Amino acid sequence: MVSTTVVGSYPRIGDAPEEQALRRAIAKFDEGVLTEKELRKIERSVVREVIQEQRAAGIALPTDGQVTWYDSQSHFARHLSGVEVDGLVRYFDTNTYYRQPVVGGPVRWREPSVADEWRYASSVAEGPLKAVVTGPYTLASLAKADGRPKPELVGEFADAIAKEVRALRGAGANRIQVDEPAITRNPQDVALLSQSLETIASEKGKAWLCLFTFFGDVAGILDDLTALPVDNLGLDLVQGDRTWKALAGQGSRVPLTLGVIDARNTRRDDPGRIAKAAVALKGKVPLGESYVSPSNGLEFLPRGKAREKLRLVADTAKLLEAGL
Amino acid sequence: MSLLTTSVGSFPKPGYLTKARAQHSRDEIPDEALRALEEQATKEWIAFQEDLGIDILVDGEQYRGDMATYFAENLEGCEVSGLVRSYGNRYYKKPVVTGELRREGPITVDWWRWAQGLTTRPLKGMLTGPYTMMDWSFNEHYASREDLALAFAKVLHQEAKDLEAAGARVIQIDEPALSTRTDELDLVVKALGAVTRGLSAKTITHTCYGDYDRVFPYFNKLPVDQIDLEMSNSGLDLLDRFRRDPLKKEIAFGVIDVHTHVVETEPQVRERIERALEFFAPDKLYVDPDCGLKTRTVEEAKEKLRVMVNATRAVREARGLR
Repeated sequence: MVSTTVVGSYPRIGDAPEEQALRRAIAKFDEGVLTEKELRKIERSVVREVIQEQRAAGIALPTDGQVTWYDSQSHFARHLSGVEVDGLVRYFDTNTYYRQPVVGGPVRWREPSVADEWRYASSVAEGPLKAVVTGPYTLASLAKADGRPKPELVGEFADAIAKEVRALRGAGANRIQVDEPAITRNPQDVALLSQSLETIASEKGKAWLCLFTFFGDVAGILDDLTALPVDNLGLDLVQGDRTWKALAGQGSRVPLTLGVIDARNTRRDDPGRIAKAAVALKGKVPLGESYVSPSNGLEFLPRGKAREKLRLVADTAKLLEAGL
Repeated sequence: MSLLTTSVGSFPKPGYLTKARAQHSRDEIPDEALRALEEQATKEWIAFQEDLGIDILVDGEQYRGDMATYFAENLEGCEVSGLVRSYGNRYYKKPVVTGELRREGPITVDWWRWAQGLTTRPLKGMLTGPYTMMDWSFNEHYASREDLALAFAKVLHQEAKDLEAAGARVIQIDEPALSTRTDELDLVVKALGAVTRGLSAKTITHTCYGDYDRVFPYFNKLPVDQIDLEMSNSGLDLLDRFRRDPLKKEIAFGVIDVHTHVVETEPQVRERIERALEFFAPDKLYVDPDCGLKTRTVEEAKEKLRVMVNATRAVREARGLR
């Protein structure tokens, strides 16, 4: 049966005053009038709210919305040895910024980055919850690491993320997604990505493992990606719409997460048109075991629009299921 | 004239204006009351720049919020979105293009005319560029990114012509998104060219924070007279690139890092100007901060500008430049 999921991030505040609790709390924490314990309590209430919002819209496999992440790079770098966190750098072609990790020594896993957060989120999720980690290739690509050969660096980040996956399994996570947007910009590095995924897969045990690529297409490396030791491959089919054609030609042996709802634009997507395009992949892709999702994390949209996009994901999945 | 000093555009808003803007957004004070305070703050910044001896002035954008939504609020076919996260705990609103873009009338001209009336020195006309407007907007109407960029270019060209007709001798068209997608640099050139076409005023484009290395071959293609670049935040790394590919235009060279509270010392800024003079002729080299100063406090911004002007003056004197 076609299911529904999200890619990871979700707007942590909305426009209504009652949806801005976290923004106010962080400002008060920065001013020194709120303790860290009080801030974490509010953060957790937003995590709960975000999960409920996804479920209410019809998302079968939600995430914690990455509500506690400063950004997708420094959230991991802060918990690794050999890496410092530096100034703001633009995140791909978005108008958002991340704090750049700077590699000063061998990169080693020191403590969990997301496993503890996942444990809490799962306890309030009332159903399955996907854990998300940033992949080693993207971490290495967006870090500053003067003079370090990239294969060596990706290898060290892969060992560290593999340990995070082990920690997630220890926390009970059985659905884990690895985000690798950077490979859409450097598809020639797919061999590096493959090696790092093998390292991570060696720690996945019985957990379901998904690789998600976004912010571009992977048409030229689709065969390489579908051969990886993963249980699901997530694809951005909006900004990476060239991948549609590759899918129609080559197909995929692994089930997919079809990132078909535009998470970068407020324009209303057409579920009927999208479902029709997806149905055309019947026989080429195991659609019955696949998911429908937004094209990337939803935090690039205002909260109201993100909610609308979740409903469009659910509508598209229903139409796709009906078309099979 | 050599080593003329200028600013990139925005200055911080004084506390009384920040408070009034918040009150105005809650309908607690009328438009006229807010306007009076925006004028007061603009007068203060113009007077400060004149007293300091800055050569080419800006109005400090005391009446603007975000550089993109300011134009969205004043264009037909454009709305403003809900809040979207930029980084950390910072959020902003984006333009949402819902129909064909049309300018109901001049957007910036009245403010420019009023502010220019406060000084005899040239005051820049300030526009947000068509590529940046496109890249920072949600697009619910146009078929492609190119169509939207060119639609913005059309209305911004009308605005630039009106600024010129009002007497603006210098018009800056900011393109901070220029380096966002290096596969679209031809579109940046095309859209910017559609804005500057037929203008006789001096045209400038400002850009910052990007993959300059890939953008570099396009600097000489940009259809403007001057490129305004953030240089200090990146440790002047870009200078070596200019050795290989000399810039054929004027440059406004950022000597002040706008992202740190720390105020540079005069010797630091002098050294940056001296480094720049190894690559650019003094009459083609303008001295300014890396970017708009609006994220600094009023006092920090004033101190940074004071150091910039003093350092420039010292270099001029040391080299006998006029």
